[in-house]
Amino acid sequence: MSAAKRPSPSLTLLLAASAALGGQKSVRADETGSTQSVGYRFNVYDEDSFSGQPVIGSPERYHVDSQQLALNTGIGDRNTLTVDATHEVMSGSSPWYVVPGPDNKPIQVLSGATIRDHRSAVQAALTHDAGANDTTSVNASYSAERDYHAAAVGAEHATPLDPALTLAYGGSFSHDLIRPTDAELYDRIERAQKNTLSAFGGLTWVLNRSAVVESGVQINYQNGYLSDPYKLVTVGDDQLPDTRPDRRTEGAWLVRYRYAVTADAALHADTRVAMNSWGQHSLALEFSWYQRLGGDWQLVPGLRYYAQDSARFYAPFFAENADAYFSSDYRLGAFGAIAANLNVRKRFGHWELTAGAERYHSATSYALGSSGVPDPAVVSYTRIYAGLDFHFD
Amino acid sequence: MSAHVFEFSSMGCPCALHLETDDEELARRARAAVLAETDRLDRKYSHYRDDSLIARLCADAGKVVDVDEETANLLDFAAELHRQSGGLFDITAGRLTRLWDARAGRVPDAGEIAAALRVTGWHRVEWRRPRLRLPLRGMHLDLGGIVKEYAADRCAELCRAAGANAGVVDLGGDLALIGPHRDGTRWVVGIKAPRASGRAAARIDLPRGGLATSGDYERALIVDGRRYSHIVDPRSGRPVAGFASVSVVADTCLVAGAAATLAMLLGVERGGEYLSELGLPHLCVDGDGDVSGDIAN
Repeated sequence: MSAAKRPSPSLTLLLAASAALGGQKSVRADETGSTQSVGYRFNVYDEDSFSGQPVIGSPERYHVDSQQLALNTGIGDRNTLTVDATHEVMSGSSPWYVVPGPDNKPIQVLSGATIRDHRSAVQAALTHDAGANDTTSVNASYSAERDYHAAAVGAEHATPLDPALTLAYGGSFSHDLIRPTDAELYDRIERAQKNTLSAFGGLTWVLNRSAVVESGVQINYQNGYLSDPYKLVTVGDDQLPDTRPDRRTEGAWLVRYRYAVTADAALHADTRVAMNSWGQHSLALEFSWYQRLGGDWQLVPGLRYYAQDSARFYAPFFAENADAYFSSDYRLGAFGAIAANLNVRKRFGHWELTAGAERYHSATSYALGSSGVPDPAVVSYTRIYAGLDFHFD
Repeated sequence: MSAHVFEFSSMGCPCALHLETDDEELARRARAAVLAETDRLDRKYSHYRDDSLIARLCADAGKVVDVDEETANLLDFAAELHRQSGGLFDITAGRLTRLWDARAGRVPDAGEIAAALRVTGWHRVEWRRPRLRLPLRGMHLDLGGIVKEYAADRCAELCRAAGANAGVVDLGGDLALIGPHRDGTRWVVGIKAPRASGRAAARIDLPRGGLATSGDYERALIVDGRRYSHIVDPRSGRPVAGFASVSVVADTCLVAGAAATLAMLLGVERGGEYLSELGLPHLCVDGDGDVSGDIAN
């Protein structure tokens, strides 16, 4: 009997049914196990300041402190409810517009006064397990800050096509409302809205006892006000408001691979390629290693690579422009980034402590394809977090 | 390298623990663990004892009872087997099994069979983990076909946890491997020939997990020279006329036992197809003594 052959459906069913009764009783290194729990997280996000570069305005960039409370609980035998509440305090200056300096090198102008703002958000999801790995879930979320409100709903369904293959699909809709601060003072639009419609479909295939692969596609469609009301663009001698098309379609394909190397170690490898109707393409690669150590410790180091090219109507600044759209937002430019992160967890009875750090470095030289003009605003940041979870079971 | 063989009796059958170790203390610990575990499971799930958990669940018929996690896992497994076998594998067939038990010594009449059928049927049971309700008084749970095999796996796990890594647990012919011989070679085990006590139908080496045998030779009712299998079809109330015995090798004795029992219940033709589709090494002996299957694989 060849080892590479997939097990018969009946055997797979028998094995699955008997799983709880012994043999491989230990939980895999990267499984959290379904738990009823409540948890708290504190997160600090700090962008690198513009040091050593010519800028106009305060060189300190964004800093965000956030706190999050999460609840995961069962309702009856077949339902799970998760509720997440987040509160963030943001401060710092952000890129406003770019002007050409000597030799046409771009100089970033940052918003002057540091903004101190806060954002609150809540999201909830209800999942129903109909049995035999068939699950349906609905979710809703709401986020509010001084100038931005967003509400979203979504649903998804996962069902096994055969014992080793699961199909998942779903969709979501989001409605965002923006009311920029100081609209009159800076001649910004007073209010605007945007809608996002999203759909995805994917297949998860259990290759064997140790490996699972998932592949899916996602399509997003946005319409409404998609520009950034706080950003200006240098066009010739003027600074004009950031002006982007009022619709955008994006398609993405992702592949995720999970491999249990031993009972205590697992590898996760994810890749995502995307393209959108603004002419951008992107590639993301992420690797994580889940290592269980003695004494209920777990270590998860990870590495991430991201690269994109620029939107059709992007440039740090424009000489003269007959085109309808123009933006110098660095997030529409060509750049790439590498990030390294580490998470540490320790379990004490019902409690679990988690802490971690991430260092993200981006540069236009890592861009997909040729990077064109370097954008001074590409951001690098450091993030650290810590949290505590209490597991009820 | 000392080979220890410890023979004992549990779950109504002759059992043995085979261990290879130089460590006397380890052998002692493993023996104690196996004795304790088989005793525990026998007390809990035997359908011949009045004080077992099974007996109490049956006595509580009509009421909603919360069962413990181990029982819940076994019931989930039984429910899945019931579904996969189209209702043939039914742990509520306890009344029927008792009717056709060898110890009764006689063939039950139609009235008795009808009465037993009235209180048989897993589809009638309300089971939503961890809540169980047997709706009818007289309903009788029989976990034979699951518990002995589960016990073998558990004993093997306990031996491994105690530090043993070479041995076999044998509970009345249901085997769970602790680990291959110290020199790496596989254990060679005999599969009893049905209806010819003392003779082995086959000797195979056990590569992994477990070997379970479902057969009518030890517990069959014999009346007027006719043999009635103790494996009863819960829909007709009568013994199945199928293989005389089926042996299956799988990663666990539990899965092997479930496959063997299902193959016995399905009869010769469908049982044979089922075993082929399953793809596990198996051996079947039919009523004429003819042997089939690819267990040597």
